[in-house]
Amino acid sequence: MKKLKVLWLSALSCNGNTHAFFNYPNLEYFLENFEFIYHPVIDSEYSLEDIVSKEIQCDILLVEGSVSKEFTRADVPILKIIKKYAKKVRKIVSVGTCASYGGIFKNGAYKDVTGLFFDEEKEIDILQEFRYKAINISGCPVHPDILVNTLFAIKQELKLKLDNLLRPKEYYAYSIHNGCTRNEYFEYKVDNHKFGELEGCMFYEHGCQAPFTHGSCNKILWNEVNSKTRAGLPCMGCTEPSFPRENLFSTKKNMGIPQELPLGVNKRTYLTLAGITKAFTIERLQKKLIDD
Amino acid sequence: MIKLIEKIEGEATLDFNFKDEKIEFVDIKFNSTRGIENILKGKNALDALVINPRVCGICGHAHLIATVKALESCYDDLKISKKAEIIRELTLNFELIHNHFKWFYLTLFPLFGFKQEVLKASYASQIMGKAIATFGGQYPHTSYAIVGGVVCEVTSMDIVKINSYIDETIKFFERNVIDVDVEKFILCDNVEMALKSKGDLAKILQIIYEKEWVELGKSYDRFIVFGKNSYFKSGKSHKTRISKNLPYEYVKEEQNKSSFAKNVSFKDKYYEVGPLSRAMLKRIPLIKDAHRRYGDSILSRILARVCEIAQLLNHSKSLLKELDLSEASYIEPQIDISKVSASGVGAVEAARGSLIHKVSLEEGIIKNYEIITPTQWNLAGGSRENQGISQKAMVGLKDEKIAELVFKTFDVCSVCTTH
Repeated sequence: MKKLKVLWLSALSCNGNTHAFFNYPNLEYFLENFEFIYHPVIDSEYSLEDIVSKEIQCDILLVEGSVSKEFTRADVPILKIIKKYAKKVRKIVSVGTCASYGGIFKNGAYKDVTGLFFDEEKEIDILQEFRYKAINISGCPVHPDILVNTLFAIKQELKLKLDNLLRPKEYYAYSIHNGCTRNEYFEYKVDNHKFGELEGCMFYEHGCQAPFTHGSCNKILWNEVNSKTRAGLPCMGCTEPSFPRENLFSTKKNMGIPQELPLGVNKRTYLTLAGITKAFTIERLQKKLIDD
Repeated sequence: MIKLIEKIEGEATLDFNFKDEKIEFVDIKFNSTRGIENILKGKNALDALVINPRVCGICGHAHLIATVKALESCYDDLKISKKAEIIRELTLNFELIHNHFKWFYLTLFPLFGFKQEVLKASYASQIMGKAIATFGGQYPHTSYAIVGGVVCEVTSMDIVKINSYIDETIKFFERNVIDVDVEKFILCDNVEMALKSKGDLAKILQIIYEKEWVELGKSYDRFIVFGKNSYFKSGKSHKTRISKNLPYEYVKEEQNKSSFAKNVSFKDKYYEVGPLSRAMLKRIPLIKDAHRRYGDSILSRILARVCEIAQLLNHSKSLLKELDLSEASYIEPQIDISKVSASGVGAVEAARGSLIHKVSLEEGIIKNYEIITPTQWNLAGGSRENQGISQKAMVGLKDEKIAELVFKTFDVCSVCTTH
């Protein structure tokens, strides 16, 4: 079996995507199909100095972390390294929200911090000529299934449908809300959520962004066992260009109505719907699910 | 001789200065920083719970727990249930174990001429990730510990599941790393006994003996531990003298001219942090024996990190038994954080050593935030007259490859060091 050669570059990052990738359950199968010419943690044939000084054959470029003109790796500007390999590879995959949209380090130590092809939602042109081979797999960190399956899709030359922010629709057409175990509470507007409980929806008071965030956290689950919202933590919207917003644990409201509504829902419809569903009093949603 | 050291959660350069063919001084440089402390300024206090795990991809959970402790210490009388305390301690233990496995199989193994064991590293660390996610929703980068407790509710089925994750990890550890029962290993008080097994640990120890590296990598023999919980003891020790009093005022952070990493010292002295320091304070029999014979050498350092896997797995099992599910996971603070103006400090033991977060709040807004990471202690770039812990450990060596080995026994984390 011919292995595809992959270069994993770390730009301005915390290495969170590197470690999320390690949680891919079938790493052995992955490594039978792909070979890292360089990876931030896994041993590779080439060193970082080789990568920046030579031109090594490569099929896919993965970039983790946001970029800035000032940022270097092994004394070479990261954008120069990216451009060198961008020319050669089949696809450029921005791994995580930093590489996709700029992410958390935008207000940090470097100037002009952006993603590879976007500055938040705005398209930028530093790598414009390579845009046709770009895929963004956002998330802070990215889910390992999304990363690995995207790479297999590239290997199998599948035509991936991307959304307008260049994310594969098969993972990002969903909302995080989809598959949340607290959905009944949302549907019937039971907003009695308290931290440390299995019950209640966090959309109304605790800043949960799941209904308007694109992603599959509740469909494919984290570490194969759970998700933030299932555990009782609001969705922080980490797959979106707006991550991180501010005041993450409370819901911004205008006249009692959440400012951000579920994807595709207008305010008037929402109010009508809320009025009807609130009329239900569903006993089992008013009490503890397990203990009493 | 300048050497680029990579695959240490980022990169560093070591500039080796030789005199008479021996290393006389090593200048340690980190070439970038992300400025997390600045990012936090002006933000709502609770947002730090989301931002701070992003200091580091491999030990972000320790940053979460240090953050929540720092914020909670801004309150006068905040109540936390025992249940929430135990759950936080468990997830932190799981992260430490996860880190130690990765260090052992990804970093350490190749330094002794073996192939990197990616699959062994990921097998064990993944189970620990599942255990954290069962409580915290996901790993890495959860923010499940919040001011007042934890967001999750735990059922008896969760406990069953987490118990099985611990057992599975113990089995893996016994079969692969130590080749003996965990209980026996914990009671072992003799380095020679640890040498005799067929496990992966013994393979490395045997090489250390064969190559006569037993005294390699000695530093000042000064240890410090700030994080305290049901298992770790805080205090400092110099050789065998222990003192328990560690006022934070004596912890000093200093800019380093040639690097983005700041140095950190206690009463102007550099101290080693990490598993060896913790074992010294806890007086772990096997590590005491190693230290008595070989001091703060790489042998003691490696043994302490591996030994801690056994201790933490064992301790986590008993912690799990103590969980009282009838308690609340979260107790809402009496005062909303938006009304709090105060300063606080939180310290925890992360995989690589003591991690300290300091915060000052004005009506719930972060005015100042300071993070002091373990590798800032161990990798402090001191002067020739007053060298840092790892600098001192490399002095006198003839070969920079061996110096790299010594350097990496501190489990270097570049992203944490610079944050």
